[in-house]
Amino acid sequence: MDNENSNSITPETGERTSCKSEGRFSPNAIAELDEIITHYPNKKAAMLPALWIAQREYGGYLTREAIREVARLLGRPKAEVEGVATFYSMYNFKPKGKHHLEVCTCLTCGCVGAYGVVHKLEEMLGIHLGETTSDGEFTLSEVECLDWCEAGTVIQVGNKYFGHVTKDNVEMVLEQLRESDDHTSPSLADDIVKILLPKGEPKSKVE
Amino acid sequence: MPDIEWVYIKINGIALKVPKGEMIIESAKRIGVEIPFFCYHPRLSMKEGGANCRMCLVEVASRMPDGSLRKMPKPQTSCSLPAAEGMEIETDTEALNADRRGVLEFLLINHPLDCPICDRGGECPLQNNTMHYGPPTTRFIEEKRHFPKAYPLSQYVVFDRERCIHCARCTRFTRDISGDEELNFLWRGADMEVATFDHTEYNSRFSGNVIELCPVGALLSRPYRFKARPWDLQSAKSICTQCSNGCNIKLDYRLDRIHRVNARLNEDVNEEWTCDKGKFGMDYISDESRLKTPMIRRNGELSPASWEEVLYLIASELKNAEGEVAGVGGAYSSNEDIYVFQKFMRETLRSKHIDHRMGPNFQSYNSGLLKRFGCPAMGNPIAELEDMKSTLIFGSNFVDEQPILYLRVRKGWRFKRNKVVEAAPQGLISEEIRHVTQFAEVSLNYKNGTELPLAQGLLAALFEDKGRPLGEQKLLSHLSGKNVAQCASETGVDEKDIRKAAELLATDKMCIFAGEYVTHSPDATAILEVLGDIAVLTGNAGNLNVPVSRNNEQGAMELGILPDMLPGYVEEQNPGMNTEEILSACVKEDLKALWVMNTDLVKEYHNSDLANSAMDACPFVVVTALAITDTAAKANVVLPVHSVAEKWGTFTNVERRVQAFCKAFEISPDIHAEWKVFSDLSSMLGSPMTYADGKDILNEIVKSVPTFAKCGPNTLGDEGVILNPVAGGKE
Ligand code: SF4
Ligand code: SF4
Ligand code: FES
Ligand code: FES
Repeated sequence: MDNENSNSITPETGERTSCKSEGRFSPNAIAELDEIITHYPNKKAAMLPALWIAQREYGGYLTREAIREVARLLGRPKAEVEGVATFYSMYNFKPKGKHHLEVCTCLTCGCVGAYGVVHKLEEMLGIHLGETTSDGEFTLSEVECLDWCEAGTVIQVGNKYFGHVTKDNVEMVLEQLRESDDHTSPSLADDIVKILLPKGEPKSKVE
Repeated sequence: MPDIEWVYIKINGIALKVPKGEMIIESAKRIGVEIPFFCYHPRLSMKEGGANCRMCLVEVASRMPDGSLRKMPKPQTSCSLPAAEGMEIETDTEALNADRRGVLEFLLINHPLDCPICDRGGECPLQNNTMHYGPPTTRFIEEKRHFPKAYPLSQYVVFDRERCIHCARCTRFTRDISGDEELNFLWRGADMEVATFDHTEYNSRFSGNVIELCPVGALLSRPYRFKARPWDLQSAKSICTQCSNGCNIKLDYRLDRIHRVNARLNEDVNEEWTCDKGKFGMDYISDESRLKTPMIRRNGELSPASWEEVLYLIASELKNAEGEVAGVGGAYSSNEDIYVFQKFMRETLRSKHIDHRMGPNFQSYNSGLLKRFGCPAMGNPIAELEDMKSTLIFGSNFVDEQPILYLRVRKGWRFKRNKVVEAAPQGLISEEIRHVTQFAEVSLNYKNGTELPLAQGLLAALFEDKGRPLGEQKLLSHLSGKNVAQCASETGVDEKDIRKAAELLATDKMCIFAGEYVTHSPDATAILEVLGDIAVLTGNAGNLNVPVSRNNEQGAMELGILPDMLPGYVEEQNPGMNTEEILSACVKEDLKALWVMNTDLVKEYHNSDLANSAMDACPFVVVTALAITDTAAKANVVLPVHSVAEKWGTFTNVERRVQAFCKAFEISPDIHAEWKVFSDLSSMLGSPMTYADGKDILNEIVKSVPTFAKCGPNTLGDEGVILNPVAGGKE
């Protein structure tokens, strides 16, 4: 909530009151948010990072409690936070499988057989685009350009990119992922939060 | 006020002078050139979320530094185009017409063909603009998007998402005006929809306004849904009776039924807003429960009677009472009713026992605020509030007590960077009711009942502030020797916060509001003295506002329904009894008759036991009422009287503005104007009163009460007139 002009950068005044958690934000997440807020002119501007932290803390997707908590921590109206979150496609609002396979079917990847990869995956996993396997292991989606066109077809899985995927080698990707607990939605969120923190962690790290 | 810088521009070849930076859409209005629009609204922020519908396009040529004209290659949105020297604007070209057709075709892609069954039909900007500028057909052959029709957003508002054109007027309203920020856009692009958080109830004190703001039939009134078409309705200029703010409204009615209430523009009062109490609370006028004939108690039961019979009975009872009569109420009656009532009581019945106050405090009017500042209620006009650099809201659930004043204060904060300090008892500020808290710079959350020490704490902090003169011994005496730290511990408020608040208040344009937690406190007088000191000390003497809350409570004060003041605050030498004393006298059977003027006494009087036993004990009680209330049910005689819709009259609002309301319809010839009851009785009792109508009475008031001198029926106009200041000392 602000004056009409308060989006302009105003000098920091007084001491900053630390965010208090009543939801699922861990003490470390609160410390991260406190730190990130200092990089912005006001708390409203820290909303996207706050939502990334929330996506990690809430296990890979934003529940209504997650939105509520972000709104409370930033002192913003809940409707505004929900509006911002739903504007962006990388925030999830429903649980995804442990590994979210996002296959680029944009122009370049499309030319080198992205849909072949998609169909092969559908066949192997027994699901259609947009669906999740019954064991909760994989969700399959198609996305627009992932900005690694020279390595098409590209699949993003959490915080990892797989390049040069074809319908013939895609099985290897699945095998690798089956073994691993990495490259999940929360790990992507965590990586993004790390990028937003200059040293990769809050100044006052809570163990 | 800085001088306005003027620039010369041309619109459609017509040269005109406008303030620099004025939006072209506004400049065009000056010369009667119409530019179509949807999302533009002068009271909503343009910077955040404005200029999104693209309907208001114009062609612009700008003056270059070398004096040449350069035409902008693309049309511009005139709602966000500030006027600059030498600009030349075209609003009516072939290219623009094509653009507008395009915009409309685009907006209509998803808009259903609902006009025949849409409540907005007939007064719908989308319908009107499409008729005027739109393409007759569409090229969109795909399926439109669908949502459930008539989704209930709240108890008052239904939402038809298919009709929404995403102009963001409603969402901006909740952010820029009402402050609850309940509405926002979900999703993006073609999936965008307006929603509350998680589709919860739209919880606002001002939700009804979005119905009027929405340029299509997307947000609609639940009570009005399918009740009428706008062209079937008549409209009467009226004044809301639900609180003291006196919003200007239009009563839209058909025959003798109110169908809806819309706001009427008054820049000095409500601008163009109303609160939900007003917009949805006026149905009582045409409610089934309205009393349509006088009632007399026979064998313990109220039963219908003729006016002749009841007036005869009342006249003889009042004659027998020989001055042992009292009158209470009046805060819901018009100025004319009130004036005639007190005249009837004082001159015809020779009784001084009249009072409109319902307690718990009955301070003498001859002291306190009136004596000190010459102003018994509000020191600042409503319009001035948005220019106060700082405002102290003290002990008030402001949004509920004073909805329109709340909107002004918030406007000043939102658009003029004013600061607000709130002092509210613990428990008042909760997740639900925290409206001022949301934008207050400092919120002082004090222990219940510690209003006085908190006010003293603020005063002490102002004194201790080095920059302030310490000499005023008189002011100092109200501190009872306390310092800030003591006050802080007494009130449970952080000392730092008190000091910060005091610092914010030390501006040359500061005003204070004292709410019901002050006026209902046993320490009311002392608290007001200290708040008055704060005003004086910061150089804002007179900016102490103690707003009344009931419809015409201010009028009842101004026109002397008070035991110690005659109309115009002329002191009564030998005061009569106040409400409390009157009711006690009834219980002791010292009074023979009691008149309750259109007030549900047993509900409103702060001590309902006393009110009930007084009603039971008094041998003869007359109640004027719109319906059988709990109080009327106990009366000997109940007289049905006109509501605001059934007569011409005036109210005095919280800022002492006298405003007229007009007659819409009559419900029954057996319902009389209240003043008519008194004047008839007075004539029967040998003191004829010969008023032809309300205007007659107002003319008499204008002549006999100096504060009303400028308020004649012909000078009130649509905006009303503020009463003259009360003669007497002003600090
Ligand atoms: S509901 Fe009405 S006011 Fe709100 S965005 Fe849609 S069209 Fe505009
Ligand atoms: S603020 Fe008061 S006068 Fe205005 S609409 Fe609401 S109740 Fe009526
Ligand atoms: S098109 Fe697939 S990464 Fe660019
Ligand atoms: S009115 Fe100008 S863009 Fe909507």
